[in-house]
Parts: sequence; structure tokens; C-alpha cells
Amino acid sequence: MTLYGYAGKILRLDMTNRKAIAIETEPYRRWGGGHGMGAALFWDFCKDKTITDGRNPANVCCVMTSPLCGTIVPSAGGRCEVVGVGVGQYPVSWFTRTNFGGRFSTMLKYAGWDGIVIEGKANSPVWVDIRDGQVIFHDAQDLWGKNTWSTQLEIRDLIKIRRGTKTHWQDIEALPLGESNASSGEDFGRTTQKPAILCIGRAGENQTCHAALIHDAGNGAGQGGLGAVWGSKNLKAISVLGTGGIKVHNPKALLRARMITKEKYVTSWQAPDFQAWTRIGRLPNPIIQAAPPTVERRPQSCQGCINGCRSRYNVGYGNESACQETFWYGPYARKVAKSRAEDTEINLRGADIVQKYGLNSFVLQPGLHWLEHLYEEGVLGPGRPIPSDLPWESIGTLDFAEKIVHALSTRTDIGADLADGWVQAALKWGREEDLHTGALQFSYWGVPEHGYDPRAELEWGYGSLMGDRDTNTHCFNYIFTNVSAAFAFGKPLRIQAEEMVKLHAKKMSPYAKDRPEVLDYSDANMYSEAVAQTVRWQQHYCRFYKNSALYCDLKWPDFVNTNVPDHEGATASPDAGEQVFWNAVTGDTLSFENGIEIGRRIWNLDNAIWVLQGRHRDMVHFAPYIYETVYNKGEVFPFFMWTCRDDKGRWHYKDLMGRSMDKAKLEEWKTIFYQLEGWDIKTGWPKRSTLEKMDMGFVADALEAAGRLGEEAS
Amino acid sequence: MKYSLSQPSESLARKILNPVPFKDRFPAGRLKPPVGVLPGDVRSLPELHLFLEPDNASLPGINLKALPKWVEASIGDKELAESILAIVDTAANYVEGCVGVYEVVGYRLDQARGAIKETKV
Repeated sequence: MTLYGYAGKILRLDMTNRKAIAIETEPYRRWGGGHGMGAALFWDFCKDKTITDGRNPANVCCVMTSPLCGTIVPSAGGRCEVVGVGVGQYPVSWFTRTNFGGRFSTMLKYAGWDGIVIEGKANSPVWVDIRDGQVIFHDAQDLWGKNTWSTQLEIRDLIKIRRGTKTHWQDIEALPLGESNASSGEDFGRTTQKPAILCIGRAGENQTCHAALIHDAGNGAGQGGLGAVWGSKNLKAISVLGTGGIKVHNPKALLRARMITKEKYVTSWQAPDFQAWTRIGRLPNPIIQAAPPTVERRPQSCQGCINGCRSRYNVGYGNESACQETFWYGPYARKVAKSRAEDTEINLRGADIVQKYGLNSFVLQPGLHWLEHLYEEGVLGPGRPIPSDLPWESIGTLDFAEKIVHALSTRTDIGADLADGWVQAALKWGREEDLHTGALQFSYWGVPEHGYDPRAELEWGYGSLMGDRDTNTHCFNYIFTNVSAAFAFGKPLRIQAEEMVKLHAKKMSPYAKDRPEVLDYSDANMYSEAVAQTVRWQQHYCRFYKNSALYCDLKWPDFVNTNVPDHEGATASPDAGEQVFWNAVTGDTLSFENGIEIGRRIWNLDNAIWVLQGRHRDMVHFAPYIYETVYNKGEVFPFFMWTCRDDKGRWHYKDLMGRSMDKAKLEEWKTIFYQLEGWDIKTGWPKRSTLEKMDMGFVADALEAAGRLGEEAS
Repeated sequence: MKYSLSQPSESLARKILNPVPFKDRFPAGRLKPPVGVLPGDVRSLPELHLFLEPDNASLPGINLKALPKWVEASIGDKELAESILAIVDTAANYVEGCVGVYEVVGYRLDQARGAIKETKV
């Protein structure tokens, strides 16, 4: 039977015995792809699901594609999901996820694989060379210690892939380092492509908690510390070269939906609306946080993207970096920069540094702020209670940036204490007070606040809390950014609050269909059942559409769209909604709501794994500062605008700054959330009845055997 | 002349150009979708000037109402503080206020640099 959209096989890498095993994708088809499939594979192949540190050899790390990878589905063809138990969270490193873009997932599919399951631990460093069906383990002693860019270039050299414009057709079986007897028996093809390589740098080799996986120059899977998991398994890199293709069930329908996206939902190239309120419908634009270093640049994107968000510049730095890593050093760079151009150069070279070390820069956003605070207060530095010989007086320079990233990546200086978790280090250093004052803004599970404070942006905070880490899920927060920017400029609002919430609710089926109150984040509604439904919808939507089908988090969902006369976005639409593309590729007849239901199933599997790892509702709380301090009004931005109803039920955009979270009321909200999910309200553990309704009795059996099944009466 | 700020003395010019201690820093965040609101601070007027320089991709996050007090108390420039207050009070919106402050701070920095240069001569 043809599995449209799928390659049909999953590759198991037995690191301990250096063996490659192919298994069928079909038994995992019900989980969609990406995260869902990865979680199911983790469930099957991780023999000890009580582990709470991803560096445990029992951990299983899955690198997963989706049926949409390698196709022209807009902003969905090039993402890749990685799952496994993470590293460095607090109090427990949960089974978690991370995600990156580029062309790795596409190449993996073209090589004939829907995913890779990494098990066990090699006794010395290796890199894995995948060429279509051939899989070879190579010694990586000579690569160990190299940065992520050098590693990729070296692998290309090792297999004699020519660079740049010298590329020509190459028969991949004839490339060096191959093993003719390791062939799967399939025919090999030819390609003009360079391999797609996913690798770790020194942060991963040293198994530090914020180690990332890096692909090409700037695609990073940072959150969760999965780079440290690779380091613990002695896995330096996976290189993939594929020459196959993907069978699409209905190419005509796929093309039609793609054209509708372009012509209906995306702003016109001829008369672009640069201020359009939409996610899928904007023009390509680099989302670097610093000013562009030059106008001489080319757009760069993940494979199949409709509006790429990265650039390559003729200045030779900052290439392919986007988003937070281009500004992790921003507040410090401007202390030494003499001009905007110098500020940009420091920021983008700072991005290059973290890419090469393979370190997730997000930790430095609030983390470096905290370390600087400790230094300036006389607590950290040479000869001080927290000893550090880093040149703190030169913070803001590139020299300091390199040195702090080096320390964090190599377990040297303060990096020795921070390598196993920042909150853990704070406690070791006797700095628990910083979790109460907010000097250390690590809001949930020992990881940094993202930039959308939980006291204001509820679905972000609650979603992170009920999940496994900073949710990093941008479904709704353009409400804040678009509306706040309009207020800042004094510009007319493109969509008024009442229309905004109605448009959203129209698409938030099944839990919040036509219930606009689910986006009322006012003080009176912030602990309500309605807001709990928003959190559920977001988690279930994301677990399937974003984390499993691998629609890009920055482009989907498209709830509202001012490029369309009625402002109704592409999400869930019958002409170019997420389910339309899924069905065109796979041949399924999925409704939008069916996808949400698959997401609920995946979310429940995740929760079951967390429960086996030891989760209980008593552990589910924010860092103390979220309850004990207010989100300071105007301190870091003048307002945080969101949709709210007043006491007469009228909708407005209202500033949500100046409030804290009430711990007792949050406990009540958790009870509501657990009830809605069908989980035991005393423990947060899933009930058998809930799981069996989703055909997940096998999960209930495992939880029961572990004594961690929720009570039906609860 | 757009601003009626008197030429600063050499000692005031040095205060204008130099950073204040960490304890006197002024909170200064940045809104940049999709990352969100990024925390930070400024400790000098040159840094404030760079921070407020307009760009197409982000917005500075600063409490314009509290800024004049900081400029007077921490930098020690009462005249500039009064100018900022006047700009903020009459700005039609937040961004206009930021741009106005950016311009007057830039003018003041030029004055301060000129004062130091004259002293050296």
C-alpha cells in the first residue's frame, strides 16, 4: 500500500552496537508524523521512562519528519521535530521537544526515511552517514572538538562533495567512505545537492544544558538541551544525502491550495501591504533583531517556505541567523558600540558565535542579565563569592561574548556550575532570593521567560506550565505585538477588538467555537474555564499541526488576515486550511477538528510520559516571582495590549501590565484544566476512561502498572 | 536652532558622555516580534541615543514619563530633563515621543562632545 507523503521507513540507530535497523512507518501512521510519531517511538523504544535526565543512556532521541516535508505545502515543507528527555530543567528534565528548519527533513525523506530513532550510547565519538538506504557509522574522533560549521564543511570534504558553484551531478554510490556491503539493495541515484547535516558543537560535546543541534549555518534546535543528549551518546553528526522523492496523493489539489494561498492570503508583490495583520500572508523578510547589516542580501528560507525569514549578506556574518540569536547580546553590545552599524555587527557576529558552539542563546536573554546583576552587585567575579575570571568589565565586546559562550559550552569558569541547569546553579550559589525578586526570570521548569510574560500573556504562561518547557508557540501573540505597535505609533487599528476575538473564535473549534470570551485576558477572566479552553486548543492544535504535521510556528495558524476582505485567515479554511494540504498530500479525509483530536491524543501521550517521569500537580507551578511581584508597568515596554471585556461586556484592547498571578486562583484554574482534559484533578494523572476513548488503553495499562493512573472518581 | 539648550560646562559634558553606576541604570526593553519584549537597561546618554535610534523592525521599550527624572537625578542634566519632559508631554504618540527624545539627546551629545573638544584645545 502506498503511504502518500511518507517515505515508508524509519531508521533506528543502535549507537551502542553501531547498527542501523529499518522499521516500517505504517504502525506509527496514526500519530501523523513529527512529534506524535516521535513520542510513540519513544514510548516503544525507551525502556526506562522514569529517567529525568536526557543524558541517561536509556534516553531515546527521535529526529522526525512529517508527510508534508519535502513538498510545496506553504511554510511546512522544511521543518524537523526532535523529541526525547531533555537536559537541565528544574526540578525535572521532562520528555520534551525541539524543532528546526532548513532542508534536513526534506533530504531525510528523499533518502527514504521518515525519521531517525537514536538509542543507546557509542563508546567513542561517531558520525552517521546516510545516503539513501545506506547507513554507515564513521569514527568522529577527528571531528570532536570542532565547531558546527567546521564539522559540516569537513564532512562534505570527507565525502568529496564539491562546494558552491563547482557542484555537478554526482553518483552518490561512488562517493568515498561508502560501504558496498552495507547497501540496502536499493538503487542509488545521482544528485547535485550537498548533504544535509545536523550536528553538535562544543556545548553538545560537553553535555551542557542548553546545547543545541545545528544544521547549515543558522538552523538550530535549541530548546530542551537535545544537543547534550547527542553529546552523551557520542553522536557528533548525522549527514544525509537522498536522491528519491515523495509521492503526493493529489498533486493538483496541492497546487491549487498553494496558488490560493498566494493569490488570496498573501499580500500582493505589486502593491505590498507591509503592515498587514496576518501570519502566512506577509512577504519574505529577515526577522533579525538588529538592523540589517547591508541592503546587499538574498532571502533565505526553509525548504518550501512561502515567506522566508532569513538572509545571507555580502558582509559575511550573520548569515541564516534569525530571531532571538541575533539579539541575545543586544543590551550589552549597545554599551560599547559607537554606531548602529557597529551594534549590528557585534550582534550578528554574536549570533555566529552561538551557532558555531551549538549553544541555545535563549538562556542568555534573561540569564546574562542575571549574571551581570551578580557581577555589578559584587557577588560574582574574581575573588568573589561566585568566582569568575571572565572579563566582566568588557561585557558588550565580542571578546566577552566569545569567552562567556566558551565557558558555558566547555564547563569552564561559571560554566561548570551552569552546565547542569541555571536554577540549579542559583540554588547552589545561595541565590534562591533571585527567583523571588525576579532577578532571575526563569518562569517555568527552570527555563527562561520568553518575552511574553505569563502574568500578561496567559496562553503562553499556562501552556508552558502545563507542558514541558517554554512553550515557544506563537499562535496568538501577534495580538499583543500588532495592537501594541498600532498604539505606539498612534495608527488606526486594522481590526477592532470585537472583530478580532470573533474571527479567532470562529476557528477555535471544537473547544471554543464561537466563544470569543476565551480570549478575554482581563483580571476577571484570567482564571476561567474559557481561558483554559484556549490553552487546550493551543496545545492540541500545536501538538498535531505544528509539532507533527510541522507547519511553521511563525506562519501558522493564520486566524486573521487583512489581505482578505472579510479578514478571515487561512487557518481551517476550506480552500487553503491546514487540513486541505494534509489531505492533498496524504490522501486522508481529515477535517480540521480531526487534526485537533490527533493533537489531543499526542498531548495525552506526552502527559503520560511526564507522569511516568514523576509529574504530579503539586509540581506544576511558576517561579515565585510570578506570584510575588507585578509585571512592572512600563518598565520594559509601555503597554501590553490584549483583548478584554469591560464590566458591561464590551470588547476593548487593554493594557495588561501591572499585575501578578494569584497562586490560589491558579490552583483553581489547574483543577478546571485537568477536568476539561479528563485527568485526575488531585494528581493531574490521566484516567483510564480518557485514554481508552482515544484508543490508548496501552498507555493506561503502563500507568496502572506504575501506580500512576488517575482515579476515575476524581 | 531647534533646541534652546545652553552649552554644557566641561564637567556636565563629562557626565553626559559617561555611564552611571549600575544601581542608577534605567530600564530599557525592546519589542521585536516574534521574540517579544526583551529586557535590558541603559546607563548613559550615548547608549540611550543608540537605543532610541529608529529602525523598521523593532520598537524601543522605555518609560518616557520617568525618563526626565532619571536624566536629572542620575546624569545631572536638568536642562535636558526639562526638554525631554516638554517633548514627551506634547508628543502625539509614544513613537513620536521616542523620536523626539532621540533627536534632543543627539543634539545634547553633540554639544557635550563639542564642549570637551573645546576644553582640550
